[in-house]
Amino acid sequence: MSSRVIASGIVALLLMAGSVRAHHNMSAYFDFNNRVTLSGTLGKVDWRNPHIELIVDAKDGEAVQTWRLEGPSPAFFRDRDISRMDFEGALGKPVTFEASRARDGSAWGLLRTMTLAGGKIVSACPQNC
Amino acid sequence: MKKYRTAMTAAVATLTAVVLLAPASLFGQSDADKAKARAEQRARGIALNRENNSQVLRLYDRQGKAVATINEKDFYNQPTISPDKTRLAVIRNNPETETQDAWVIDVATGKSTRITTASQRRELSRAPVWSPDGKQLAYVSLRGGTEALYRRASNGEGPEELLYKHPGFGMNLMGWSLDGRYLSYFTTDLSGGILYLLPLDGSGERKPVEAFRSTSTVQGARLSPDSRFLSYMSNQSGRPEMYVRPIDTSGTGAVSGGPWQISTDGGLGMGFWRQDGKQFYYLAADRGFMAVDVSTSDAFEFSKPKLLFRLPEGLGVSVGTASVSRDGERFVVAEPAQPRLQQITVFDRQGKMLRKLGEPGNYGQANLSPDGARVVAMRNDPKTNQLDIWTYDVATGKGYPITNDAEGQNAPIWSPDGKQVAYVSTTQRGMPSIYRKAWDGTGNAEQLFTYTPGAGMVLTDWSPDGKFLAFWTQVLVVVPLQGQSAAERKGIEWLREEYNVLHGRFSPDMRYIAYITDQEENGKLQLYVRPFDAAKPENPPPGDIVQVSADAMGMIGWKGDGKEMYFLQPDPKTADVYVMAVDITTTPTFKAGAPRLLFKLQGPVPGNPLQWKSASSDGQRFVFAVNVPAPAR
Repeated sequence: MSSRVIASGIVALLLMAGSVRAHHNMSAYFDFNNRVTLSGTLGKVDWRNPHIELIVDAKDGEAVQTWRLEGPSPAFFRDRDISRMDFEGALGKPVTFEASRARDGSAWGLLRTMTLAGGKIVSACPQNC
Repeated sequence: MKKYRTAMTAAVATLTAVVLLAPASLFGQSDADKAKARAEQRARGIALNRENNSQVLRLYDRQGKAVATINEKDFYNQPTISPDKTRLAVIRNNPETETQDAWVIDVATGKSTRITTASQRRELSRAPVWSPDGKQLAYVSLRGGTEALYRRASNGEGPEELLYKHPGFGMNLMGWSLDGRYLSYFTTDLSGGILYLLPLDGSGERKPVEAFRSTSTVQGARLSPDSRFLSYMSNQSGRPEMYVRPIDTSGTGAVSGGPWQISTDGGLGMGFWRQDGKQFYYLAADRGFMAVDVSTSDAFEFSKPKLLFRLPEGLGVSVGTASVSRDGERFVVAEPAQPRLQQITVFDRQGKMLRKLGEPGNYGQANLSPDGARVVAMRNDPKTNQLDIWTYDVATGKGYPITNDAEGQNAPIWSPDGKQVAYVSTTQRGMPSIYRKAWDGTGNAEQLFTYTPGAGMVLTDWSPDGKFLAFWTQVLVVVPLQGQSAAERKGIEWLREEYNVLHGRFSPDMRYIAYITDQEENGKLQLYVRPFDAAKPENPPPGDIVQVSADAMGMIGWKGDGKEMYFLQPDPKTADVYVMAVDITTTPTFKAGAPRLLFKLQGPVPGNPLQWKSASSDGQRFVFAVNVPAPAR
């Protein structure tokens, strides 16, 4: 074992220390069989561990609802050559997202994919799928 | 960076000092440079992983005699034997592309035939099952974020057929019924598990039939040859056991009878029916392949399990790494190319071995008590496959069980006075908590803190004044302990950043916390120290953030007098590990000298060093669970 392995696989190391899936049990909070696809405007990006959070003012019919989307960790995106700048550059611009809905029925979702302005598709799978 | 690595090989300690004293601009890499460095480090990690952890595929007869071996080393999972026993279907994990593909391997020649081809990173295929005639394979693939069941000819020719698109996530295909009409699979999460049957005949969209739902974890659904019974593993009794229950595939009505528990001392979940329906096989908790005589001619009847043979402890077999042929004559195991066990070993600061504790076994996370007289470690019981916390007296070697249950235990640490042990225990429902118990296992465990369901917690320290715990979950969390019950205590996200914060250890005077991060984004981990204010623990107070090492891998230790720190540093070219020391001062502010090598540990060193507390408080003794070769079969 070396830190080379560690640096490229933090979650794997968590596994070695105990039972871990992600920061918390996604299936306890989100229904993977209840997905929603909405379009709206990206309003805020919190790019921190243990998972990023995106705020989107989404249109659901005529109504606009503020959605809170939970993504994987910043390192997940970094490994896929997606940076905070990709999201911050999309602030105030239209986005389309697919998410698994929260079990409590609120406007809270586990991000699966997001299409940014300009057409770039960011996937949070398989981590969030 | 190239210069740095080259010189490291020649003079580790000296050059580490040079690097640490180098101006910050040396580390001021561009994003492209960082990405390149990360890629190089990743490639090196994968190479080391291949060298140390790859597997071979071995076939055994009913007496446990190895009769064939696929010697090509790789990362294998879920090997399954074809109905005629001439081929193996297996999942190969490619860490370079982070993909998994299904392959078929000819047992006689070792020739591989690719069944799936991942077209992009993180496409994952898994759980191959053979059709009754061996001409096809069915499997699960995750592509573009969607799981689905597919089948394809087992010779790799012809197109792939989509059988069923799964709306959720986490399906595990287990069997193809002998009449060819059903695939059986299961899904499981913290709310329990569901066993499904997918009818293959008929036209139009296929719809799975929910065969059984449980609030317990249920896995490994396999139909009996006559499709009248379903075998599965469940933890409903508190530990995994094998069960059989009747099943109605016709949809004409409910069935009665069962379920029957057919394992007696734990089952790992791999149940297999012989094709004549007269015998059933499973892997027991002690790695024994068990045979159970069964009858499905009318009502289900079964005998007491009989041991066929037992795999050695060093093979570390688990669910998904073994299976049984349909005639019950062959057993395939994906086993480590270099079987190993661990030996808890105490060293002095020159690296001289002082004492070995107990017999070699499966140990991890060995931590030394403040006075160096005792060790706490995680131990996997070879008879029950249960992972528990144990303490050991260094002088006598006597062991004391701290936990003895099927919950997931991890990350044990000592209380500041060495009289208690704290650890994380996660219930089968995924609720993690921190408990404490007397060092000799007496008395009841006291719950100190409970955290987010399903969250990973790596407990790393109990502050010298006894008033705080620290754990990391990519974020460093500090838990004040005074005056509240576990339910009322709240964790403070003391350091939550874009980068990962890993490890966390209070200084003896409580004025600092040392931690490890990947904030340089160069594929390495760095050791930092920054101020901590126990009176205002909500946030790190102002003050210098000092980088102690630019390349650390864990095991932060503070000497009790506050004059020295310890950590592990990786060898840049091998899996070996350097135990490092660094002189420090803590007043008026924290300052660190140049790290120096104390001794070198032969790698790989198993476990998670981002939890270890290996050094005694006088810095004279160190403990590690080191690898030793497993005894010959």
